[in-house]
Amino acid sequence: MSDNAPRRSHFVPRTRDGRVATIAFLALLLLAMPPVSHTVLNRTDPWIFGLPFFYVALLGVYSALILVLIWAFRRGV
Amino acid sequence: MEPWVVATGLIVLYLALTVVLGFVANRRMTGDMEDFLLYGRKAGFVVLYLTVVASFHSSFAFLGSGGFFYTHGVGFWAAGTWTLLVGAITYVIGSRIWALGKAFGYMTPADMLADFYESEAVRVTVAVVSVVFTILYIQVQAQGLGYIINIASGERISLEVGTLVLLIVAAVYLMAGGLRAVYWTDVLQGVWMYIAVWVGALVLSYELFGGPLELWRAVAEQRPDLLSLPGPKGFFTPGMWIGMTITLSFGIVFQPHMMIRYYTAIDGKTIKLLGATTPIYLMTLYIPTAMVGLGGAIVMPGLVGAEADRIFPELLFAYANPWLTGVILAGATAAAMSTLDSILHANMTVLTRDVYQRFIRPNESQGHYINVGRAIVVALLVVAYMLSVGRFDYLVVLVTLSGAGALQLMPAILGVCFPGGRTLTRAGVLAGIAAGLVTLYVTLVVWPHPIGMHGGLWGLLVNTAVALNVSVFTTPPSAETIQRVHGEVERFVYGTED
Repeated sequence: MSDNAPRRSHFVPRTRDGRVATIAFLALLLLAMPPVSHTVLNRTDPWIFGLPFFYVALLGVYSALILVLIWAFRRGV
Repeated sequence: MEPWVVATGLIVLYLALTVVLGFVANRRMTGDMEDFLLYGRKAGFVVLYLTVVASFHSSFAFLGSGGFFYTHGVGFWAAGTWTLLVGAITYVIGSRIWALGKAFGYMTPADMLADFYESEAVRVTVAVVSVVFTILYIQVQAQGLGYIINIASGERISLEVGTLVLLIVAAVYLMAGGLRAVYWTDVLQGVWMYIAVWVGALVLSYELFGGPLELWRAVAEQRPDLLSLPGPKGFFTPGMWIGMTITLSFGIVFQPHMMIRYYTAIDGKTIKLLGATTPIYLMTLYIPTAMVGLGGAIVMPGLVGAEADRIFPELLFAYANPWLTGVILAGATAAAMSTLDSILHANMTVLTRDVYQRFIRPNESQGHYINVGRAIVVALLVVAYMLSVGRFDYLVVLVTLSGAGALQLMPAILGVCFPGGRTLTRAGVLAGIAAGLVTLYVTLVVWPHPIGMHGGLWGLLVNTAVALNVSVFTTPPSAETIQRVHGEVERFVYGTED
Protein backbone atom coordinates (compact mmCIF):
# COMPACT_ATOMS: atom_id res chain seq x y z
CA MET A 1 0.00 0.00 0.00
CA SER A 2 1.31 3.44 -0.84
CA ASP A 3 1.45 6.72 0.99
CA ASN A 4 2.28 8.63 -2.19
CA ALA A 5 -1.31 9.56 -2.99
CA PRO A 6 -2.50 13.14 -2.45
CA ARG A 7 -3.14 13.50 1.27
CA ARG A 8 -6.60 15.06 0.99
CA SER A 9 -9.21 12.43 0.29
CA HIS A 10 -11.69 12.72 -2.57
CA PHE A 11 -14.15 10.54 -0.69
CA VAL A 12 -15.15 13.48 1.51
CA PRO A 13 -16.43 16.67 -0.20
CA ARG A 14 -14.35 19.75 0.56
CA THR A 15 -16.79 22.54 -0.31
CA ARG A 16 -20.00 23.50 1.48
CA ASP A 17 -22.09 22.93 -1.65
CA GLY A 18 -20.43 19.56 -2.16
CA ARG A 19 -21.28 18.51 1.38
CA VAL A 20 -24.89 19.71 1.07
CA ALA A 21 -25.38 17.88 -2.25
CA THR A 22 -23.78 14.65 -0.98
CA ILE A 23 -25.72 14.56 2.28
CA ALA A 24 -29.02 15.46 0.59
CA PHE A 25 -28.55 12.83 -2.13
CA LEU A 26 -27.60 10.06 0.30
CA ALA A 27 -30.40 10.94 2.75
CA LEU A 28 -33.00 10.92 -0.03
CA LEU A 29 -31.61 7.69 -1.44
CA LEU A 30 -32.00 6.06 1.97
CA LEU A 31 -35.71 6.96 1.83
CA ALA A 32 -36.01 4.87 -1.32
CA MET A 33 -34.11 1.88 0.09
CA PRO A 34 -34.88 -0.84 2.65
CA PRO A 35 -35.93 -0.73 5.40
CA VAL A 36 -37.95 2.44 4.59
CA SER A 37 -39.18 1.11 1.22
CA HIS A 38 -40.37 -2.15 2.78
CA THR A 39 -42.01 -0.66 5.91
CA VAL A 40 -43.01 3.01 5.94
CA LEU A 41 -43.65 3.25 2.18
CA ASN A 42 -45.06 -0.24 1.70
CA ARG A 43 -48.78 0.56 1.63
CA THR A 44 -51.35 1.55 -0.95
CA ASP A 45 -53.37 4.00 1.20
CA PRO A 46 -53.79 6.91 1.09
CA TRP A 47 -54.26 7.36 -2.64
CA ILE A 48 -52.63 10.54 -3.91
CA PHE A 49 -53.77 12.10 -7.20
CA GLY A 50 -55.50 8.79 -7.96
CA LEU A 51 -52.35 6.74 -7.47
CA PRO A 52 -51.28 4.41 -4.62
CA PHE A 53 -49.11 5.85 -1.84
CA PHE A 54 -46.08 3.59 -2.46
CA TYR A 55 -45.87 4.61 -6.11
CA VAL A 56 -46.32 8.34 -5.52
CA ALA A 57 -43.98 8.46 -2.52
CA LEU A 58 -41.15 6.87 -4.49
CA LEU A 59 -41.86 9.12 -7.47
CA GLY A 60 -41.55 12.08 -5.09
CA VAL A 61 -38.23 10.82 -3.73
CA TYR A 62 -36.89 10.18 -7.25
CA SER A 63 -37.92 13.67 -8.36
CA ALA A 64 -36.20 15.19 -5.33
CA LEU A 65 -33.02 13.24 -6.13
CA ILE A 66 -33.03 14.63 -9.68
CA LEU A 67 -33.45 18.14 -8.26
CA VAL A 68 -30.42 17.61 -6.01
CA LEU A 69 -28.31 16.60 -9.02
CA ILE A 70 -29.49 19.62 -11.01
CA TRP A 71 -28.87 21.91 -8.02
CA ALA A 72 -25.32 20.50 -7.69
CA PHE A 73 -24.72 21.17 -11.38
CA ARG A 74 -25.99 24.75 -11.15
CA ARG A 75 -23.78 25.38 -8.11
CA GLY A 76 -20.74 24.01 -9.93
CA VAL A 77 -20.13 21.13 -7.50
CA MET B 1 -53.96 -3.32 -44.93
CA GLU B 2 -53.20 -6.23 -42.60
CA PRO B 3 -51.57 -5.40 -39.27
CA TRP B 4 -48.46 -7.54 -39.91
CA VAL B 5 -47.79 -5.74 -43.21
CA VAL B 6 -47.97 -2.34 -41.51
CA ALA B 7 -45.81 -3.45 -38.57
CA THR B 8 -43.15 -5.11 -40.72
CA GLY B 9 -43.18 -2.23 -43.24
CA LEU B 10 -42.56 0.37 -40.53
CA ILE B 11 -39.68 -1.67 -39.07
CA VAL B 12 -38.13 -1.93 -42.55
CA LEU B 13 -38.56 1.85 -43.00
CA TYR B 14 -36.87 2.43 -39.66
CA LEU B 15 -33.97 0.11 -40.59
CA ALA B 16 -33.53 1.93 -43.92
CA LEU B 17 -33.30 5.23 -42.03
CA THR B 18 -30.50 3.90 -39.79
CA VAL B 19 -28.49 2.70 -42.82
CA VAL B 20 -28.87 6.11 -44.50
CA LEU B 21 -27.63 7.79 -41.32
CA GLY B 22 -24.65 5.40 -41.27
CA PHE B 23 -23.59 6.41 -44.76
CA VAL B 24 -24.11 10.12 -44.09
CA ALA B 25 -21.88 9.70 -41.04
CA ASN B 26 -19.31 7.98 -43.26
CA ARG B 27 -19.02 11.14 -45.38
CA ARG B 28 -18.10 13.14 -42.26
CA MET B 29 -15.28 10.79 -41.21
CA THR B 30 -11.73 12.15 -41.10
CA GLY B 31 -9.90 8.81 -41.35
CA ASP B 32 -8.51 9.28 -37.86
CA MET B 33 -8.76 6.44 -35.31
CA GLU B 34 -10.09 8.72 -32.57
CA ASP B 35 -12.73 9.97 -34.97
CA PHE B 36 -13.82 6.43 -35.90
CA LEU B 37 -13.69 4.97 -32.39
CA LEU B 38 -14.46 8.00 -30.17
CA TYR B 39 -16.41 10.51 -32.32
CA GLY B 40 -13.25 12.63 -32.21
CA ARG B 41 -14.00 13.35 -28.51
CA LYS B 42 -16.45 16.02 -29.70
CA ALA B 43 -19.86 14.71 -28.62
CA GLY B 44 -22.15 17.53 -27.48
CA PHE B 45 -24.87 17.30 -24.87
CA VAL B 46 -27.90 16.35 -26.99
CA VAL B 47 -26.15 13.60 -28.95
CA LEU B 48 -24.42 12.23 -25.86
CA TYR B 49 -27.63 12.35 -23.83
CA LEU B 50 -29.64 10.37 -26.35
CA THR B 51 -26.91 7.82 -27.03
CA VAL B 52 -26.38 7.18 -23.30
CA VAL B 53 -30.07 6.71 -22.51
CA ALA B 54 -30.70 4.66 -25.66
CA SER B 55 -27.73 2.40 -24.90
CA PHE B 56 -28.72 2.01 -21.24
CA HIS B 57 -32.27 0.99 -22.05
CA SER B 58 -32.21 -2.19 -24.09
CA SER B 59 -34.98 -4.46 -25.31
CA PHE B 60 -35.31 -5.47 -21.67
CA ALA B 61 -36.60 -2.02 -20.73
CA PHE B 62 -39.11 -2.14 -23.55
CA LEU B 63 -40.35 -5.72 -23.17
CA GLY B 64 -38.82 -7.29 -20.06
CA SER B 65 -39.72 -4.53 -17.61
CA GLY B 66 -43.42 -4.85 -18.55
CA GLY B 67 -43.06 -8.57 -17.86
CA PHE B 68 -41.45 -7.83 -14.50
CA PHE B 69 -44.33 -5.54 -13.44
CA TYR B 70 -46.76 -8.16 -14.74
CA THR B 71 -45.21 -10.96 -12.66
CA HIS B 72 -43.77 -9.26 -9.58
CA GLY B 73 -45.88 -6.13 -9.28
CA VAL B 74 -44.99 -2.57 -8.35
CA GLY B 75 -41.71 -3.65 -6.72
CA PHE B 76 -40.02 -3.14 -10.08
CA TRP B 77 -40.50 0.59 -9.43
CA ALA B 78 -37.19 0.06 -7.58
CA ALA B 79 -35.82 0.70 -11.07
CA GLY B 80 -35.99 4.39 -10.17
CA THR B 81 -33.22 3.94 -7.60
CA TRP B 82 -30.72 2.48 -10.02
CA THR B 83 -31.50 5.00 -12.76
CA LEU B 84 -30.92 7.80 -10.24
CA LEU B 85 -27.64 6.21 -9.18
CA VAL B 86 -26.57 6.02 -12.83
CA GLY B 87 -26.97 9.80 -12.96
CA ALA B 88 -24.95 10.34 -9.79
CA ILE B 89 -22.20 7.93 -10.90
CA THR B 90 -21.96 9.68 -14.25
CA TYR B 91 -21.75 13.05 -12.48
CA VAL B 92 -19.06 12.06 -9.98
CA ILE B 93 -17.07 9.24 -11.62
CA GLY B 94 -17.90 9.73 -15.31
CA SER B 95 -16.55 13.27 -15.28
CA ARG B 96 -13.26 12.05 -13.75
CA ILE B 97 -12.99 9.29 -16.36
CA TRP B 98 -13.51 11.96 -19.05
CA ALA B 99 -10.76 14.15 -17.56
CA LEU B 100 -8.26 11.29 -17.44
CA GLY B 101 -9.16 10.15 -20.96
CA LYS B 102 -8.64 13.66 -22.29
CA ALA B 103 -5.34 14.13 -20.46
CA PHE B 104 -3.74 10.77 -21.26
CA GLY B 105 -5.47 9.71 -24.51
CA TYR B 106 -7.32 6.71 -23.08
CA MET B 107 -9.76 5.02 -25.46
CA THR B 108 -10.88 1.99 -23.45
CA PRO B 109 -11.44 1.11 -19.77
CA ALA B 110 -8.35 -1.13 -19.95
CA ASP B 111 -6.22 1.83 -21.15
CA MET B 112 -6.94 3.71 -17.93
CA LEU B 113 -6.56 0.79 -15.53
CA ALA B 114 -3.40 -0.60 -17.17
CA ASP B 115 -1.77 2.84 -17.10
CA PHE B 116 -2.49 3.50 -13.44
CA TYR B 117 -1.70 0.00 -12.16
CA GLU B 118 1.30 -0.26 -14.53
CA SER B 119 0.34 -3.73 -15.66
CA GLU B 120 -0.35 -5.39 -18.99
CA ALA B 121 -1.93 -8.26 -17.02
CA VAL B 122 -4.50 -5.78 -15.76
CA ARG B 123 -5.06 -4.62 -19.37
CA VAL B 124 -5.65 -8.16 -20.61
CA THR B 125 -7.88 -9.09 -17.66
CA VAL B 126 -10.05 -5.99 -18.04
CA ALA B 127 -10.26 -6.46 -21.82
CA VAL B 128 -11.31 -10.10 -21.39
CA VAL B 129 -13.91 -9.25 -18.73
CA SER B 130 -15.19 -6.42 -20.95
CA VAL B 131 -15.58 -8.58 -24.05
CA VAL B 132 -16.76 -11.86 -22.51
CA PHE B 133 -19.47 -10.34 -20.37
CA THR B 134 -20.78 -7.89 -22.95
CA ILE B 135 -20.75 -10.24 -25.93
CA LEU B 136 -23.48 -12.07 -24.07
CA TYR B 137 -25.54 -8.89 -24.22
CA ILE B 138 -25.09 -8.89 -28.00
CA GLN B 139 -26.63 -12.33 -28.02
CA VAL B 140 -29.51 -11.24 -25.78
CA GLN B 141 -30.24 -8.13 -27.89
CA ALA B 142 -29.95 -10.06 -31.16
CA GLN B 143 -32.41 -12.65 -29.92
CA GLY B 144 -34.73 -9.84 -28.82
CA LEU B 145 -34.55 -8.28 -32.28
CA GLY B 146 -35.31 -11.58 -33.98
CA TYR B 147 -38.22 -12.08 -31.65
CA ILE B 148 -39.65 -8.59 -32.32
CA ILE B 149 -39.55 -8.95 -36.11
CA ASN B 150 -40.90 -12.48 -35.77
CA ILE B 151 -44.03 -11.34 -33.91
CA ALA B 152 -44.37 -8.13 -35.98
CA SER B 153 -44.55 -10.23 -39.15
CA GLY B 154 -47.05 -12.64 -37.65
CA GLU B 155 -44.31 -15.33 -37.62
CA ARG B 156 -43.86 -15.03 -41.41
CA ILE B 157 -40.23 -14.01 -40.90
CA SER B 158 -38.43 -16.64 -38.82
CA LEU B 159 -36.49 -15.72 -35.70
CA GLU B 160 -33.24 -16.79 -37.40
CA VAL B 161 -33.77 -14.65 -40.52
CA GLY B 162 -34.97 -11.66 -38.49
CA THR B 163 -31.92 -11.85 -36.21
CA LEU B 164 -29.54 -12.08 -39.18
CA VAL B 165 -31.08 -9.13 -41.05
CA LEU B 166 -31.03 -6.85 -38.02
CA LEU B 167 -27.47 -7.82 -37.04
CA ILE B 168 -26.30 -7.09 -40.59
CA VAL B 169 -28.02 -3.68 -40.58
CA ALA B 170 -26.35 -2.71 -37.29
CA ALA B 171 -22.96 -3.94 -38.50
CA VAL B 172 -23.29 -2.09 -41.84
CA TYR B 173 -23.89 1.34 -40.35
CA LEU B 174 -21.26 0.75 -37.66
CA MET B 175 -18.61 -0.21 -40.23
CA ALA B 176 -19.62 2.69 -42.47
CA GLY B 177 -19.60 5.52 -39.96
CA GLY B 178 -17.96 4.22 -36.76
CA LEU B 179 -19.10 5.71 -33.47
CA ARG B 180 -20.52 8.78 -35.27
CA ALA B 181 -23.02 6.49 -37.04
CA VAL B 182 -23.84 4.76 -33.76
CA TYR B 183 -24.45 8.11 -32.06
CA TRP B 184 -26.61 9.51 -34.86
CA THR B 185 -28.74 6.38 -35.06
CA ASP B 186 -28.98 6.38 -31.25
CA VAL B 187 -30.47 9.89 -31.42
CA LEU B 188 -33.21 8.57 -33.69
CA GLN B 189 -33.60 5.44 -31.57
CA GLY B 190 -33.69 7.29 -28.24
CA VAL B 191 -36.46 9.64 -29.35
CA TRP B 192 -38.47 6.94 -31.13
CA MET B 193 -38.24 4.50 -28.22
CA TYR B 194 -39.38 7.03 -25.60
CA ILE B 195 -42.35 8.31 -27.59
CA ALA B 196 -43.36 4.78 -28.60
CA VAL B 197 -43.50 3.45 -25.02
CA TRP B 198 -45.44 6.42 -23.69
CA VAL B 199 -47.93 6.57 -26.56
CA GLY B 200 -48.47 2.81 -26.54
CA ALA B 201 -49.07 2.67 -22.79
CA LEU B 202 -51.44 5.66 -22.77
CA VAL B 203 -53.43 4.40 -25.74
CA LEU B 204 -53.81 0.96 -24.15
CA SER B 205 -54.80 2.42 -20.77
CA TYR B 206 -57.56 4.53 -22.36
CA GLU B 207 -58.66 1.72 -24.65
CA LEU B 208 -58.86 -0.92 -21.91
CA PHE B 209 -59.61 0.99 -18.70
CA GLY B 210 -60.73 4.51 -19.63
CA GLY B 211 -57.43 6.12 -18.56
CA PRO B 212 -54.29 5.62 -16.43
CA LEU B 213 -56.01 6.42 -13.10
CA GLU B 214 -58.79 3.94 -13.83
CA LEU B 215 -56.11 1.37 -14.64
CA TRP B 216 -54.52 1.81 -11.21
CA ARG B 217 -57.94 1.56 -9.55
CA ALA B 218 -58.68 -1.68 -11.40
CA VAL B 219 -55.36 -3.16 -10.27
CA ALA B 220 -56.13 -2.22 -6.64
CA GLU B 221 -59.54 -3.88 -6.84
CA GLN B 222 -58.61 -7.04 -8.73
CA ARG B 223 -54.92 -7.67 -7.95
CA PRO B 224 -53.98 -5.81 -4.72
CA ASP B 225 -51.11 -8.27 -4.27
CA LEU B 226 -49.34 -6.50 -7.17
CA LEU B 227 -49.26 -3.19 -5.30
CA SER B 228 -47.11 -4.07 -2.29
CA LEU B 229 -43.69 -5.51 -1.46
CA PRO B 230 -42.22 -8.09 -1.79
CA GLY B 231 -44.79 -8.86 -4.52
CA PRO B 232 -46.93 -11.93 -5.33
CA LYS B 233 -43.94 -14.28 -5.59
CA GLY B 234 -41.91 -12.70 -2.80
CA PHE B 235 -39.19 -11.56 -5.24
CA PHE B 236 -38.51 -8.02 -4.03
CA THR B 237 -36.92 -8.74 -0.65
CA PRO B 238 -34.79 -5.97 0.91
CA GLY B 239 -31.60 -7.79 -0.14
CA MET B 240 -32.79 -8.13 -3.72
CA TRP B 241 -33.82 -4.45 -3.82
CA ILE B 242 -30.38 -3.29 -2.64
CA GLY B 243 -28.53 -5.80 -4.81
CA MET B 244 -30.39 -4.87 -8.00
CA THR B 245 -29.85 -1.17 -7.26
CA ILE B 246 -26.07 -1.59 -6.97
CA THR B 247 -25.67 -4.16 -9.74
CA LEU B 248 -27.80 -2.42 -12.34
CA SER B 249 -26.26 1.01 -11.72
CA PHE B 250 -22.51 0.53 -11.18
CA GLY B 251 -22.57 -2.76 -13.11
CA ILE B 252 -23.96 -1.18 -16.27
CA VAL B 253 -22.03 2.10 -16.04
CA PHE B 254 -18.73 0.17 -15.84
CA GLN B 255 -19.47 -1.83 -18.96
CA PRO B 256 -17.15 -0.72 -21.79
CA HIS B 257 -19.85 0.73 -24.03
CA MET B 258 -20.91 3.13 -21.26
CA MET B 259 -17.39 4.04 -20.10
CA ILE B 260 -16.25 4.72 -23.66
CA ARG B 261 -19.10 7.22 -23.96
CA TYR B 262 -17.57 9.28 -21.15
CA TYR B 263 -14.32 9.61 -23.13
CA THR B 264 -16.21 11.05 -26.11
CA ALA B 265 -17.71 14.15 -24.46
CA ILE B 266 -16.58 17.51 -25.71
CA ASP B 267 -15.94 18.75 -22.14
CA GLY B 268 -16.35 17.85 -18.47
CA LYS B 269 -19.33 20.14 -17.99
CA THR B 270 -21.25 18.15 -20.61
CA ILE B 271 -20.67 14.95 -18.63
CA LYS B 272 -21.88 16.59 -15.40
CA LEU B 273 -25.02 17.94 -17.09
CA LEU B 274 -25.53 14.47 -18.52
CA GLY B 275 -25.34 12.98 -15.02
CA ALA B 276 -27.76 15.52 -13.61
CA THR B 277 -30.40 14.98 -16.27
CA THR B 278 -30.23 11.40 -17.63
CA PRO B 279 -32.34 10.03 -14.74
CA ILE B 280 -35.27 12.10 -16.06
CA TYR B 281 -35.41 9.96 -19.21
CA LEU B 282 -34.25 6.70 -17.63
CA MET B 283 -36.64 6.78 -14.66
CA THR B 284 -39.73 8.10 -16.44
CA LEU B 285 -39.54 5.32 -19.05
CA TYR B 286 -40.63 2.92 -16.30
CA ILE B 287 -43.87 4.84 -15.69
CA PRO B 288 -45.56 3.64 -18.92
CA THR B 289 -44.06 0.14 -18.65
CA ALA B 290 -45.64 -0.12 -15.18
CA MET B 291 -49.01 0.70 -16.72
CA VAL B 292 -48.48 -1.93 -19.43
CA GLY B 293 -47.38 -4.66 -17.03
CA LEU B 294 -49.93 -4.05 -14.28
CA GLY B 295 -52.78 -3.40 -16.71
CA GLY B 296 -51.79 -6.50 -18.66
CA ALA B 297 -52.05 -8.60 -15.51
CA ILE B 298 -55.74 -7.61 -15.33
CA VAL B 299 -56.59 -7.95 -19.03
CA MET B 300 -54.47 -10.99 -19.95
CA PRO B 301 -53.85 -12.99 -16.78
CA GLY B 302 -52.02 -16.31 -16.66
CA LEU B 303 -48.87 -15.59 -18.68
CA VAL B 304 -45.73 -17.01 -17.08
CA GLY B 305 -41.96 -16.67 -17.64
CA ALA B 306 -41.00 -15.54 -21.14
CA GLU B 307 -44.68 -15.32 -22.06
CA ALA B 308 -45.09 -12.47 -19.59
CA ASP B 309 -42.35 -10.50 -21.42
CA ARG B 310 -44.61 -10.49 -24.49
CA ILE B 311 -47.38 -8.63 -22.70
CA PHE B 312 -46.76 -5.31 -24.50
CA PRO B 313 -46.87 -6.64 -28.11
CA GLU B 314 -49.67 -9.05 -27.21
CA LEU B 315 -51.82 -6.16 -25.93
CA LEU B 316 -50.96 -4.04 -28.97
CA PHE B 317 -51.92 -6.72 -31.47
CA ALA B 318 -55.12 -7.43 -29.59
CA TYR B 319 -56.33 -3.89 -28.88
CA ALA B 320 -54.37 -1.20 -30.77
CA ASN B 321 -54.51 0.24 -34.30
CA PRO B 322 -52.13 -1.62 -36.69
CA TRP B 323 -50.25 1.57 -37.59
CA LEU B 324 -49.67 2.39 -33.96
CA THR B 325 -48.59 -1.19 -33.31
CA GLY B 326 -46.06 -0.92 -36.14
CA VAL B 327 -44.65 2.37 -34.86
CA ILE B 328 -44.31 0.96 -31.36
CA LEU B 329 -42.67 -2.29 -32.46
CA ALA B 330 -40.21 -0.22 -34.49
CA GLY B 331 -39.57 1.54 -31.16
CA ALA B 332 -38.85 -1.85 -29.57
CA THR B 333 -36.45 -2.57 -32.44
CA ALA B 334 -34.79 0.79 -31.71
CA ALA B 335 -34.38 -0.12 -28.03
CA ALA B 336 -32.59 -3.35 -28.86
CA MET B 337 -30.52 -2.00 -31.77
CA SER B 338 -29.23 1.02 -29.85
CA THR B 339 -27.77 -1.29 -27.21
CA LEU B 340 -26.57 -3.87 -29.73
CA ASP B 341 -24.67 -1.38 -31.89
CA SER B 342 -23.07 0.22 -28.83
CA ILE B 343 -21.81 -3.11 -27.54
CA LEU B 344 -20.59 -4.16 -30.99
CA HIS B 345 -18.67 -0.88 -31.17
CA ALA B 346 -17.24 -1.24 -27.64
CA ASN B 347 -16.03 -4.77 -28.28
CA MET B 348 -14.54 -3.69 -31.59
CA THR B 349 -12.71 -0.84 -29.82
CA VAL B 350 -11.41 -3.06 -27.02
CA LEU B 351 -10.19 -5.78 -29.40
CA THR B 352 -8.63 -3.30 -31.83
CA ARG B 353 -6.97 -1.12 -29.20
CA ASP B 354 -6.19 -3.45 -26.30
CA VAL B 355 -5.34 -6.59 -28.24
CA TYR B 356 -4.45 -5.90 -31.89
CA GLN B 357 -2.71 -2.54 -31.58
CA ARG B 358 -1.05 -3.39 -28.28
CA PHE B 359 0.15 -6.94 -28.84
CA ILE B 360 -0.08 -7.86 -32.54
CA ARG B 361 0.75 -4.87 -34.82
CA PRO B 362 1.68 -1.84 -32.69
CA ASN B 363 3.00 0.55 -35.36
CA GLU B 364 0.51 0.59 -38.19
CA SER B 365 -1.32 3.52 -39.78
CA GLN B 366 -4.62 4.92 -38.48
CA GLY B 367 -6.42 3.63 -41.58
CA HIS B 368 -5.04 0.14 -40.94
CA TYR B 369 -6.56 0.03 -37.46
CA ILE B 370 -9.91 1.33 -38.75
CA ASN B 371 -10.02 -1.48 -41.31
CA VAL B 372 -9.06 -4.04 -38.67
CA GLY B 373 -11.88 -2.68 -36.51
CA ARG B 374 -14.30 -3.23 -39.40
CA ALA B 375 -13.07 -6.79 -39.83
CA ILE B 376 -13.56 -7.38 -36.11
CA VAL B 377 -17.18 -6.20 -36.43
CA VAL B 378 -17.75 -8.89 -39.09
CA ALA B 379 -16.23 -11.52 -36.79
CA LEU B 380 -18.39 -10.32 -33.87
CA LEU B 381 -21.42 -10.45 -36.14
CA VAL B 382 -20.75 -14.12 -36.94
CA VAL B 383 -20.19 -15.01 -33.27
CA ALA B 384 -23.29 -13.09 -32.17
CA TYR B 385 -25.42 -14.78 -34.82
CA MET B 386 -24.21 -18.25 -33.88
CA LEU B 387 -24.84 -17.55 -30.19
CA SER B 388 -28.27 -16.11 -30.99
CA VAL B 389 -29.66 -18.95 -33.08
CA GLY B 390 -27.95 -21.76 -31.17
CA ARG B 391 -29.58 -23.03 -28.03
CA PHE B 392 -26.65 -23.87 -25.82
CA ASP B 393 -27.43 -24.70 -22.21
CA TYR B 394 -24.30 -23.00 -20.92
CA LEU B 395 -25.46 -19.69 -22.34
CA VAL B 396 -28.18 -19.49 -19.75
CA VAL B 397 -25.48 -19.66 -17.11
CA LEU B 398 -23.31 -17.08 -18.85
CA VAL B 399 -26.16 -14.64 -19.38
CA THR B 400 -27.00 -14.91 -15.70
CA LEU B 401 -23.41 -13.98 -14.91
CA SER B 402 -23.12 -11.17 -17.45
CA GLY B 403 -25.17 -8.52 -15.65
CA ALA B 404 -22.86 -8.40 -12.65
CA GLY B 405 -19.57 -9.03 -14.49
CA ALA B 406 -18.52 -5.42 -15.10
CA LEU B 407 -19.38 -4.59 -11.49
CA GLN B 408 -16.18 -6.43 -10.56
CA LEU B 409 -14.15 -3.59 -12.10
CA MET B 410 -15.53 -1.16 -9.51
CA PRO B 411 -12.75 -1.31 -6.84
CA ALA B 412 -10.07 -0.86 -9.51
CA ILE B 413 -11.88 2.10 -11.10
CA LEU B 414 -12.50 3.81 -7.76
CA GLY B 415 -8.80 3.35 -6.97
CA VAL B 416 -7.92 5.38 -10.07
CA CYS B 417 -10.62 8.05 -9.83
CA PHE B 418 -10.60 8.76 -6.08
CA PRO B 419 -7.27 9.91 -4.66
CA GLY B 420 -6.68 9.83 -0.95
CA GLY B 421 -8.02 6.39 -0.09
CA ARG B 422 -5.97 3.24 0.14
CA THR B 423 -4.03 2.80 -3.09
CA LEU B 424 -4.69 -0.61 -4.59
CA THR B 425 -1.90 -2.59 -6.24
CA ARG B 426 -1.92 -4.51 -9.52
CA ALA B 427 -1.81 -7.81 -7.58
CA GLY B 428 -4.68 -6.64 -5.37
CA VAL B 429 -6.79 -5.63 -8.36
CA LEU B 430 -6.17 -8.92 -10.20
CA ALA B 431 -6.81 -11.05 -7.12
CA GLY B 432 -9.96 -9.05 -6.34
CA ILE B 433 -11.40 -9.46 -9.84
CA ALA B 434 -10.65 -13.21 -9.80
CA ALA B 435 -12.23 -13.68 -6.37
CA GLY B 436 -15.22 -11.55 -7.39
CA LEU B 437 -15.87 -13.59 -10.52
CA VAL B 438 -15.65 -16.90 -8.66
CA THR B 439 -18.02 -15.58 -5.99
CA LEU B 440 -20.34 -14.36 -8.72
CA TYR B 441 -20.52 -17.83 -10.23
CA VAL B 442 -21.29 -19.39 -6.86
CA THR B 443 -23.88 -16.81 -5.77
CA LEU B 444 -25.69 -16.54 -9.10
CA VAL B 445 -25.51 -20.12 -10.38
CA VAL B 446 -24.63 -22.68 -7.68
CA TRP B 447 -26.46 -21.05 -4.77
CA PRO B 448 -28.49 -18.16 -6.24
CA HIS B 449 -28.71 -15.01 -4.13
CA PRO B 450 -27.73 -16.41 -0.67
CA ILE B 451 -29.83 -15.09 2.25
CA GLY B 452 -31.89 -13.03 -0.19
CA MET B 453 -29.03 -10.75 -1.29
CA HIS B 454 -28.23 -10.36 -5.01
CA GLY B 455 -25.21 -12.39 -6.19
CA GLY B 456 -23.62 -9.34 -7.82
CA LEU B 457 -23.34 -7.70 -4.42
CA TRP B 458 -21.72 -10.79 -2.89
CA GLY B 459 -19.15 -10.75 -5.69
CA LEU B 460 -18.41 -7.07 -5.13
CA LEU B 461 -18.00 -7.50 -1.36
CA VAL B 462 -15.55 -10.40 -1.71
CA ASN B 463 -13.71 -8.62 -4.54
CA THR B 464 -13.24 -5.45 -2.46
CA ALA B 465 -12.10 -7.34 0.64
CA VAL B 466 -9.55 -9.40 -1.33
CA ALA B 467 -8.28 -6.38 -3.30
CA LEU B 468 -7.72 -4.33 -0.14
CA ASN B 469 -6.01 -7.14 1.78
CA VAL B 470 -3.72 -8.29 -1.04
CA SER B 471 -2.77 -4.64 -1.64
CA VAL B 472 -1.39 -4.41 1.91
CA PHE B 473 1.37 -6.91 1.09
CA THR B 474 2.17 -6.13 -2.55
CA THR B 475 3.93 -3.43 -4.55
CA PRO B 476 1.91 -0.30 -5.38
CA PRO B 477 2.15 1.69 -8.61
CA SER B 478 5.14 4.04 -8.76
CA ALA B 479 4.96 7.36 -6.94
CA GLU B 480 5.36 9.13 -10.27
CA THR B 481 2.30 7.40 -11.79
CA ILE B 482 0.15 7.97 -8.73
CA GLN B 483 1.12 11.64 -8.68
CA ARG B 484 0.53 12.02 -12.43
CA VAL B 485 -2.92 10.37 -12.48
CA HIS B 486 -4.24 11.49 -9.10
CA GLY B 487 -2.76 14.93 -9.67
CA GLU B 488 -4.82 15.20 -12.87
CA VAL B 489 -7.98 14.20 -10.97
CA GLU B 490 -7.14 16.79 -8.30
CA ARG B 491 -6.69 19.49 -10.95
CA PHE B 492 -9.96 18.58 -12.67
CA VAL B 493 -12.09 18.46 -9.52
CA TYR B 494 -10.57 21.24 -7.42
CA GLY B 495 -8.45 23.19 -9.89
CA THR B 496 -5.23 22.63 -7.91
CA GLU B 497 -2.57 19.98 -7.49
CA ASP B 498 -2.48 18.62 -3.94
